[in-house]
Amino acid sequence: MLKFIIQRLFLYIALFFTIIIITFLLVHLAPGDPTYILAGQVNDPEFIKAVRHRFGLDKPLYVQLLIYIENVLKGDLGYSYFRSESVSSLILSRIPATFLLILTAMFIVSLVGVFLGTIAAAKRGWIDAIISVLSLIGVSIPYFWLGLLMLIIFSLNLNLFPTGGMTSLTTTYQGIYYYLDILYHLFLPATTLAIFNIAYVTRVTRGNVLEVLTQDFIITARSKGLPERRVIFRHALRNALIPVVTFIGFNTGVLLVGAILTETIFSWPGMGLLLYNSLQLRDYPVMLGIFIYGALIIIIINLIVDILYNILDPRIRKE
Amino acid sequence: MYKLILNHTKYLKEKFSNFNTRLIVGITLTCIIVILGILAPFITWYPPLTVMQGPPYQPPSLQYLFGTDDLGRDIYVNTIYGIRTSLIVGVLSALIAMLIGILLGIIAGYYRGFLEDLLMRITDMAFIIPQFLLALIIVTTLGPNIYNIILAIGVTSWPGIARMTRATTLSVKQQTFIEAAKVLGLSDIKIISSELLPNSLPSVIPYITLQIGNNILVEAGLGFLGVSDPNVSSLGMLLNNAQQHILANAWWMSVFPGIFLSLMILGFNLLGDGLIEYMNPRLRRKAF
Repeated sequence: MLKFIIQRLFLYIALFFTIIIITFLLVHLAPGDPTYILAGQVNDPEFIKAVRHRFGLDKPLYVQLLIYIENVLKGDLGYSYFRSESVSSLILSRIPATFLLILTAMFIVSLVGVFLGTIAAAKRGWIDAIISVLSLIGVSIPYFWLGLLMLIIFSLNLNLFPTGGMTSLTTTYQGIYYYLDILYHLFLPATTLAIFNIAYVTRVTRGNVLEVLTQDFIITARSKGLPERRVIFRHALRNALIPVVTFIGFNTGVLLVGAILTETIFSWPGMGLLLYNSLQLRDYPVMLGIFIYGALIIIIINLIVDILYNILDPRIRKE
Repeated sequence: MYKLILNHTKYLKEKFSNFNTRLIVGITLTCIIVILGILAPFITWYPPLTVMQGPPYQPPSLQYLFGTDDLGRDIYVNTIYGIRTSLIVGVLSALIAMLIGILLGIIAGYYRGFLEDLLMRITDMAFIIPQFLLALIIVTTLGPNIYNIILAIGVTSWPGIARMTRATTLSVKQQTFIEAAKVLGLSDIKIISSELLPNSLPSVIPYITLQIGNNILVEAGLGFLGVSDPNVSSLGMLLNNAQQHILANAWWMSVFPGIFLSLMILGFNLLGDGLIEYMNPRLRRKAF
């Protein structure tokens, strides 16, 4: 097991360096002088000189790469053009909101997706057909469009939910009401993000439960006279759950990208909204920073899922 | 006569018994969408993106089928041309992905050993990097025009195809005709190009179809964030515009482009799923 984890760890470290090198190369391959990409459209020769020196742009390419890697590892990703703040602190301040959104969505996805998938596999017939068709439609509808529609229907026309943000701007709530207010604002974005992934998890759960249901120990359980509900939820689901859990874990990358688009629609103050704003302002260092931080988050989650998978399923350890 | 028709239906049923509902619906949907995209100049009345074809924010009517947007652009015209853009980007980027993925997959599957390990680790790594973020960074760095968008989506969407090609190559390689080709003394390149490739390709095609659907979604997502070619009408761009003017409460601005985008992705997903099932009838009733 340790060998496997060390192998994965090496892969992830190599991946992280690859990502740093990709971003570095992109900055240098882009048309125009990289100085202007890193410094913004300023004409102050003193400032340009300072930036050139700071990023070592007057040195040969491989030295520049080493300097860049060193800076990234130190967490120094430069400064935002438009906000007088370092890229790292700007992104770190937005991570909690994004995590809140992703974790809430993941919670909904795990509950609803696993439930629907199990029901579809256990009942078959028309229930299965309906769930199958719905999940196929669910994976085909772009979630940003779905979010837009939800915003138009539930916020703008029915006035049931706020149009955006994380907290109410007009009133300040205290204590428990503060958290309830956040939850109220969280509802639409989390649901939007969840629906798309529920469809995926339903499909995966259904496939796995169906496969487990053909195995011998299910026949044994049934012939012992156990009630069907117990067979499905105790025996089949339990054994089908490991691949589902892994799927949900590895799907965090998809959720992160989904969160970026969802945050844009509902003005949820996380990394996604920051990315959208920097895209509009052409705030290049922040964009690159979000890419590097996003990749780092996904790598860490993948590593955690790898380790959990190993602990959960003893069969993998032997391989 | 009745008997004849009955016999004929029976014959058709047997002949197409491998066809499944998903495949048929998928083919139909994709064909309709592709025809709309090809016929775009003939079923619209203005070039795309012309402003002030009508008053702004007109609800759908006979004159403006899908209504007009904030600049008085006809949403119907732009949606139809947007479908065309989506198809072009989706198909061409999937072709780029196919070239890279099949090349890497076949090399890994054929040569095994160190080369396979290396290529598959690279594929593993490429799988983890979120495609959307990488494509976004590439397009914004190189400049948002349609060629860069196709290129960026293409070079970020090959890992799935590479894995699939390697898996099929491994199984094709076990067949006796590959051994025969080797005994005959054919060169590696000859074996790969005239034996392995034609026999591996059919099982990879459904996954390429799924990739087209995925790439259309990525392109629309980029457009939704405002990263799109300003000179080309695209569905993502229309949705981005709808979002920016959401307070005008012009529901038609987002509803119509979104419906066509969803139908297009649904079509390619159904087609891909249906083809997988068509090629492996064993999977029938198992996957959906």
